[in-house]
Amino acid sequence: MSGNGMNGTRRYLRYAIIILAILLIILGILLVREYLTLRREQIINARELQLSAILKSHGPLTADDVAVIQPWMTFSYINTLFKISPDYLKTNLSISDLSYPQLSLSEYANYENVDVITVMNQVEDSLYNYLTATSTQ
Amino acid sequence: MDALLTPILSYVLLYKYIAIFFVVYTGAVIVPWPANAMLLAVGAFASQGFISFWISLAVAVIANCLGDYTGYWVARRFGARFIHKFKIDKVRFFIRLKEELVTDAGVTLFITRFAGSLSSITNFLAGFVEVPFMTFVWPDLLGNFIEPGVALTLGYIVGNYWSDFSNFLSLLAALVAAAALLFILTRIYRRMMRKYAM
Repeated sequence: MSGNGMNGTRRYLRYAIIILAILLIILGILLVREYLTLRREQIINARELQLSAILKSHGPLTADDVAVIQPWMTFSYINTLFKISPDYLKTNLSISDLSYPQLSLSEYANYENVDVITVMNQVEDSLYNYLTATSTQ
Repeated sequence: MDALLTPILSYVLLYKYIAIFFVVYTGAVIVPWPANAMLLAVGAFASQGFISFWISLAVAVIANCLGDYTGYWVARRFGARFIHKFKIDKVRFFIRLKEELVTDAGVTLFITRFAGSLSSITNFLAGFVEVPFMTFVWPDLLGNFIEPGVALTLGYIVGNYWSDFSNFLSLLAALVAAAALLFILTRIYRRMMRKYAM
């Protein structure tokens, strides 16, 4: 490769390295900011590292957690997540789709031709009722 | 949450390991899926008892390796014709990267395993420049074990809070990718400086 060609490559490489270094610093700042946000929201803090906190984050969800329901979740996953009886939601929401519980909420909403938000609200209400009833027993 | 991630998660919940294999495999070949965010979620699903952590890890490692080998073999088989046709062999950066890969294939391959889409590009390049297959396999396997392992373990630890960590992991992956690229470019630059000084 000629000297001029080599100089050109070196120059481009230098620019690329400088740009990447700046990008790295920006990403580092964003990462620290994200970490601080997680700490501020009490998602990470020193106590969370304790085993008890880890175990808590793995426990079955309760009636207070029903807002975690998302359209991509399947009924099978929701049953596992909240440790509820497999047929409870099927009976309570009168679901006739044969693929239940291997059916996501968005698919079910499409199948029923209703808004997915409506389905999510119905599931949340049913779960809330079930979980509050079982926790008081 | 990533617009691509939500349908992927539905498929993971429905088809479990087949969906994980498909996403990781196609991601390793070339498709820019949010595979790390998906593995974070899979780790959380494992902690909730919905899926097995160890089977997920095995499937992710195998799929990642097979995806990388596919890219490598396709480039090795058809690369020369493609490079010649599009005159890529005249591009100086390609020539330098080729030198870097040939000179220090193991380190370059291992580091790029953590560099997102750069990993797929390096697989193709490794095939183009005919890095010996056995030189390709070991750093690839090691990197492919660590990368999904970290995402799955983090997901497993944070459990129900996994979605709060999705942005954090994406930023961390981007940071590692930029650092890997910076590392490789700096090595190329230093090598050029040494050669130029001679």
